[in-house]
Order: sequence, then C-alpha cells, then structure tokens
Amino acid sequence: MTNVYIKGIGMTKFGKFVDKSMKELLLEASIQALEDAGNPKVDAVFVGNFMGGSISNQEILGAIVANELGLGYIPTAKVEGACASGGIALRQGIMGILSGEYDTVLVAGVEKMKHASTADVTQAINAAMDTVSNEKQAGLTFPGFFGVLANRYFHETDATKEHLAMVALKNRENALNNPLAQFQKPTTMEEIMGARIITSPLGLFDCSPTSDGAAALIITREKGDIHIRSSAQSSGPTQMQDADDLLSLPAVRESGRLAYEKAGVGPDDIDVIEIHDCFSMTEMLAIEELGFFNKREGWLAVEQGRTKATGDKPVNTSGGLLSRGHPIGATGIAQIYQLVQQLRGTAPNQVEGARLALAQNLGGTGSYSTVHILERL
Amino acid sequence: MKVYQCDSCEYASVSNKYRCPSCGTGQLHEQEVSSKGSVYSYTDIHIAPAEFAHLAPYIVALIQLDDARAKVTVRMNAEVSIGDIVELDHVENGAYVYRKC
Repeated sequence: MTNVYIKGIGMTKFGKFVDKSMKELLLEASIQALEDAGNPKVDAVFVGNFMGGSISNQEILGAIVANELGLGYIPTAKVEGACASGGIALRQGIMGILSGEYDTVLVAGVEKMKHASTADVTQAINAAMDTVSNEKQAGLTFPGFFGVLANRYFHETDATKEHLAMVALKNRENALNNPLAQFQKPTTMEEIMGARIITSPLGLFDCSPTSDGAAALIITREKGDIHIRSSAQSSGPTQMQDADDLLSLPAVRESGRLAYEKAGVGPDDIDVIEIHDCFSMTEMLAIEELGFFNKREGWLAVEQGRTKATGDKPVNTSGGLLSRGHPIGATGIAQIYQLVQQLRGTAPNQVEGARLALAQNLGGTGSYSTVHILERL
Repeated sequence: MKVYQCDSCEYASVSNKYRCPSCGTGQLHEQEVSSKGSVYSYTDIHIAPAEFAHLAPYIVALIQLDDARAKVTVRMNAEVSIGDIVELDHVENGAYVYRKC
C-alpha cells in the first residue's frame, strides 16, 4: 500500500496535430492537471517520453515543464522505458513521495510521432528491441514479434484471427464514446478482417496507430479520494528467442503478481481495467497473465463479451492503444487518466460503481511492465 | 550453431549471459550444435523498418533447435508452417537465413 493519492488529471486529444509542438502538447496536459488539482506547489517533475530525442531532436523535457510553468528550480527528469515510459515515470514519482523527499509531484507523458514517415517511426520504435542481436538482424519488427505470438496462439488454442478482430472492434466501439480518442469512426468485423496485412496474421486494425498527444497527473501525499493502492514494475526477456514460454509475458505476469500482493487484492476484486493493447494479440495475452482469465482461454472471454464495457471484466473502456491512440510516452499516463475518471464516475463508458481499477503498461517486446492499482475511497 | 548451456539447470540460449537468468547461479558454456530444427512459429512481415524495407515482404520464424533446449529467430528463404523441418542456409549481416529441409 502506498500513501500516495491522485489529485489532478489532464490530457490532450490524441491524434495528428501538425500545428502543435511536443512542448505545447506536454504543457497543455500539465496545465490541465495542475488546474484540476487546484494549482498546488510542485516538488518534482517526471516526464515519460520515448522518441523525442530521435525524431524531434528534443530532450530536457522535465526542465522545460518546470520552467514554462514557473514551478521553480525543482528537480526534474525525463524517463525512458519504451512504451512503458509513462508508467515508469509515474512509478518514479510515487517512489519520490514514498521516500519522503517530495510531497507533490507532476507526472506527465508525451509523444509527437505523426510528422515522421512510417519507415522512420518503425525504425525509431525498433530502438525498443535488443538491436545488437541476430534476432534484430533477421528483420524481426515490433509488430512482427506479436505476429509470431499470434500464429503460435492460434496453433495451441481454438482462437482465430476473428478473435483478434473482436478485441479491435470492442476497443473501437469504446473509443466512439471518448471525445479524446484518436479514432471515432465506427468500423465492422468485415472491415477489420479485410484490412491490409501488416505482419501476418495481424492486419491494420490489430496494430496501434502512431499518435501525437500528452497526459499528466498530480500525485501527492495529501489524502484524497483516489488512492494509489500499489505500484509495481518488472522486466522480462528482451529477445523473442529467449522466451521460455512464447505465449507468456513474464514482465506482465510478475508486475501483476507484485501489484496484487502489495495492494492486498486479487484479479477478482478489480472492477475496471486499462491494458496495454499495442496489438490486439497483446491484450489477449495480458488478460491471461494478469489472472483475469485462465491461460490459453483469453480468447473465450473475448468471444463471450466479458471484456466489453458491459462485461464482468471491462478492459480498455477508453478505447485502448488501438483506438484511443498510442503517443508512446503518454500512454501509461492516459491509462490512469481514464481510470481516475472511472473512479470519479465521469468516464466515457462508465462502469457503474467502479471502486478498484488496474492499469498495465508494457514496454518493448515484453521488456518492461508496470501495474498500478487505484482505489476510490 | 553456437548455443550457451547452463551448467546447473536446463536453460540454454543462442546468446551468452553473465550468469544463467533462469536459476540465477549457473554459468553458461558454449556448445556447437546442429542448426537443424522445426518451425515453432513465424510471421510474414509486410511493413518493415527503413533498413529492411528492400526485403519486404519477408518471413521471420522462431526455430526450436533439435539438439538444444533453445530457440533461434531466423529469416526464412521460403514460406513455412508450424512444424516444418528447417536448417541454416547461410549467415547474412549477422542474421541466420534458414531453408526448408
């Protein structure tokens, strides 16, 4: 259990914003969070960001936030953990408060990707793999890793490409109600199944998009109504060929186990969930690894509609990475933004009476995972 | 094909480690084993990063080696299915390029 509470939240719309710089997005979300928290004194800033250096030639994001917002000469840092940059930044803020060093921390996440070409972004994303390896030289890509997993999952279970499409459709349907989501155009099973292949068996709708966007939180030791019950983080294999069980993401499983243990709750107690669905296949595996469903049976739960907003384990009521969008560094913070709204009772696709919420943020091909469990007091 | 085998548990990998990540105590020792194995899974990559774009679409497969408890990620020079028997064709820019047997 932590003594940390979430006092304010902010988030830009996710999508393509050619006229806005990374800095503008970051400040917009941060100001919203500060205002939502009643403009408290901030003791430190942590910013989750992955490719600001490589495709925007912009670092020092922590100091930029502190200076532009007039927070004073406080300690700040950018946190990089691939797609888990946001979740790890949040965890660093929590650790800073738990250590006694800070009372109140601004945690933000941002990414600006839409100005770069697909080939350049794919190349930049590949930095989240172990690039000095025979595996990288073979040409394995990020989506490719989850394509290999999906073909093996189909081989070992009765799941098919249609089950992946059901995940993509569910998350799109949720996004339609979320005004901040990137994709707000309805789709159909036929369109998803017929979309062009990115890496077999994954098609366009099975893959999260590139996005611009930012999100921010104010966390504090001052007691409030949204309690961070636990924060956990784990690492996993950095290469596919080193996976002991290809259909397992050990970092997800272990971070989940630790988060449940620290919070004193189990998967049955969780009312609403945001999971790192960078690909439809990733959501399928993560709902198993986090103990919501048996191993190799996630596809059945999806088929039965149990992960829909109206199901008994609602997953990605925001639209998830697939349809809310995936500005990499912002994603882990955007998950918390949605869950705080769920606990406040003001969320798109509101789950009635939600009290316990879980967010899981993944980095690399299973290299990093964070899990945070939130509680409405 | 070089494989690194733990001296105190069953762990093996095609890449060396400071100590065994599975048991945490064993040391890994280099062994030379046959490149022959079977396709554990695969994907056909259509959208590639800039440096591999000229090869796309291409097939990347995960091979279960016959002679070691290790898997290796390779590029295939032909279409494959899970279970197909395959072996090393050649090494290209640090990549193992495999063919069907």
